Amino acid sequence: MTEHREIRRSKQGRLRLLPAGYVALVLLVVFSLWVPRFAAVGNLENIAKNASVLAIAACGQLLILVLGGLEFSIGASAALASVVIVLTVPELGVPAGFAVGALVVIGIAFINGVWVAYFNLTSLIATLGMMIFLTGLTSAIAGGLPMEAVPTKEFLWLARGEVLGLPAPVLLAILSLLLVHVLLKHSTFGRLMHLVGSNRTAAIAAGTPVRRVMLWGFTIAGGFTALAALILTSKVASGQPNLVPNLAYETIAACAIGGMQLNGGKGHACHVLFGVAIIAMINNAAVLLNLPSPVQQLMLGTIIIGSVLAQTKNSNLWGVGFFSTKKVSHAHQSSQ
Amino acid sequence: MKKINTKPLLKAESIAKRYGATNALIDANLKVHPGRVHVLLGENGAGKSTLLKTLVAAVKQTSGRITFEGEAFQAKNVQEAMACGVVPVYQHLSLFPNLSVHENLSAFALAEREMQNVRRCLIEVEQAKASLLSVGLSVPLDTLVGSLSIGERQLVEIARAVGQNCKLLILDEPTSALTSTETDKLFSIVRDLCAQGTAVLFVSHKMDEVAEIADDVSVLCDGRTVVDCVQYSDTNESELLEAMLNAPVTSFKRQLPVHSNEIVLRAEGLKVSRNSNVSTLHAKKGEIVGLAGLVGSGALSIAEALAGARQISDGRITINDVLLMPGDRAEATKKGVGYVPGDRQTHGLFPILPALTNASASLTKQLDRFGFLKKNLEIETFEPWMEKLKLLPFDFELPATQFSGGNQQKIIVARNVALPHLSVLVLLEPTRGVDVRARQFIHDTIVEAAQSGATVIIASTDLDEVLSLSHRTYVIKDHCVCAQLTEGATRQCFIDALFSQSERAVA
Repeated sequence: MTEHREIRRSKQGRLRLLPAGYVALVLLVVFSLWVPRFAAVGNLENIAKNASVLAIAACGQLLILVLGGLEFSIGASAALASVVIVLTVPELGVPAGFAVGALVVIGIAFINGVWVAYFNLTSLIATLGMMIFLTGLTSAIAGGLPMEAVPTKEFLWLARGEVLGLPAPVLLAILSLLLVHVLLKHSTFGRLMHLVGSNRTAAIAAGTPVRRVMLWGFTIAGGFTALAALILTSKVASGQPNLVPNLAYETIAACAIGGMQLNGGKGHACHVLFGVAIIAMINNAAVLLNLPSPVQQLMLGTIIIGSVLAQTKNSNLWGVGFFSTKKVSHAHQSSQ
Repeated sequence: MKKINTKPLLKAESIAKRYGATNALIDANLKVHPGRVHVLLGENGAGKSTLLKTLVAAVKQTSGRITFEGEAFQAKNVQEAMACGVVPVYQHLSLFPNLSVHENLSAFALAEREMQNVRRCLIEVEQAKASLLSVGLSVPLDTLVGSLSIGERQLVEIARAVGQNCKLLILDEPTSALTSTETDKLFSIVRDLCAQGTAVLFVSHKMDEVAEIADDVSVLCDGRTVVDCVQYSDTNESELLEAMLNAPVTSFKRQLPVHSNEIVLRAEGLKVSRNSNVSTLHAKKGEIVGLAGLVGSGALSIAEALAGARQISDGRITINDVLLMPGDRAEATKKGVGYVPGDRQTHGLFPILPALTNASASLTKQLDRFGFLKKNLEIETFEPWMEKLKLLPFDFELPATQFSGGNQQKIIVARNVALPHLSVLVLLEPTRGVDVRARQFIHDTIVEAAQSGATVIIASTDLDEVLSLSHRTYVIKDHCVCAQLTEGATRQCFIDALFSQSERAVA
């Protein structure tokens, strides 16, 4: 009897690498050996710099996915921020202009949160509608063309500055990943997000403030989107309605490639880390090998589906078991 | 005494069905005569559904034989059974809501012709109209089924069965979702069908329906037929109820702790649904109060309301003279109201999260320090409870789905008994689908919670559970309190109370 009572803390305190971690390591080794100039320090730094915006935005997406939702409006929201920043910086100066941009993004995330939490819209519909609305709004403000900013050193610092020898975007990405990790695994709010994402009805029955958790979850995620938007604006030094139209899809893809199951209630900063690393390394290797961009997209698409299939425990790669006898007999009965 | 003269259309003799280690049916018998309504009665879990499934060949019985029209019934699957004229209408409607009435009526024909040409597989308009007429339904054939009321849909389903040259119509709890006028209409159609010679097998657990519709009655209890095809005129309600509830008494009498006289929970003028009567109830500190009722009596709804998990139509609930906001679980939890929901899977568990997280779901406030989780406190809080409840496997990191039903229930009970300042603990069906040992541990924990000063409300359709655990039991009928039983009441007291109209104490 006493054997039963000893708590098995099997998964606690032991570092286990996610399957996606191994994939990332293998890619790193393979590309270093086979792709010329890949392993050069300058190139690796370049990869990290290019990946950092996606990593920060994916941190926000990760939070939404843990809540059991999806956020499609982040790309459109970042584009609007870039236009707002370019318009306000000449009047208010760089810090205040960037702050206004950040507030716009966070405000949009808050509104999405209100729809989802208090009006029971699905996040898919709420954020899809917001995405289309924002795209229209941004084009109306900018008139369809990129608006150039005066590329002062201050304006460009977020994208090109360095802190302690580390590029600023990379440092911010690392901080974001750490922050998201602490939030999800060690904070009370992160625990509430897990509960709500895992089973909303049960969370209500257990007395969890479900609506507030949804609303603030969206808003905090908006904070990460805002940071990504600021770095992007600084990088392109212009306001562009077409800044990152695919950001939402790429962040969801990053989480999926990183091994996350998108059903809600579960998620880890490592999913973002490995997913983004895999995407960034493949893109970089493709550039170094002079592969045309359609080929890059073909590869990326294949890898998304392939890695998710490989990481799903019960998936049947060959599709034979999709209609198991059990399911068929069930369908049989219900059609009677 | 009038004898049934005709030979039975369908006869099932000593049917047994075993699923793994559980015996769903042990010795079930059934005789259904043409042109008569045969009501099959039984509590939840008595084996009614399993028996039905064997009759329509959806499952194969482990032993026993079924004869249909005097010959051995040889259908191998539901389609063949229906071709023989045995047509089931299930509790969960099996219509296609996005298709028209006509298309739905044609579904069987379509299935038989093995998908040649969808257009040609619609049955003739005349035929469709005729079968609708036979159930007294007058809607255009192109109406979408999804736009019909539940009652109308049921009629469409019966019409579909009638169109199938149906000899035995099986209705599985058909009235559970119907209004009283819809029920009346259904009954008159059932009688019409019988007059035309169709046999009807009507499964129910509602006694008042039996009186209205039954020609013959059988009662199943724990997998055995305890009343085998008796004419309804030869029996009466209380006899049938006794047979239905006559499970062997397994629980021993436990010593309940003494409770104080201070009233903690009060519900005044409580109406859980618009049409129900008003009920008033109270519970004292340390008292275990049962809410007992048959399935569908509303005992569970009242308990949900007391836990703050349900909106109410009228009335007020107070805890220690503080008003409880109806339907606000977050507020109720703050006031120390624990709630073990009746449906563990949808309302209780966080399936992919670890056991410990599941257990501490109501305790996040207490585990918080400056926004961070006190994980050590979390383990320290729940280790003793899990030990007391004998959680198996004793692994706090295992996802909740990987525990058995009994252990999942232990986790949810632990979540609630660990609440600080637990003042009221409301449990719905605390041991449904739970094995005997887990049941024991859960009951012990409930008694212990009462001993340490919590007011406990147990709502259950398991009579033994309520009667053996409660200091006092409210008998619930039609969504309101109809009587009160004191400690030590028996099943007989409960049955008597169900039939007495005025509220009175039965010792």
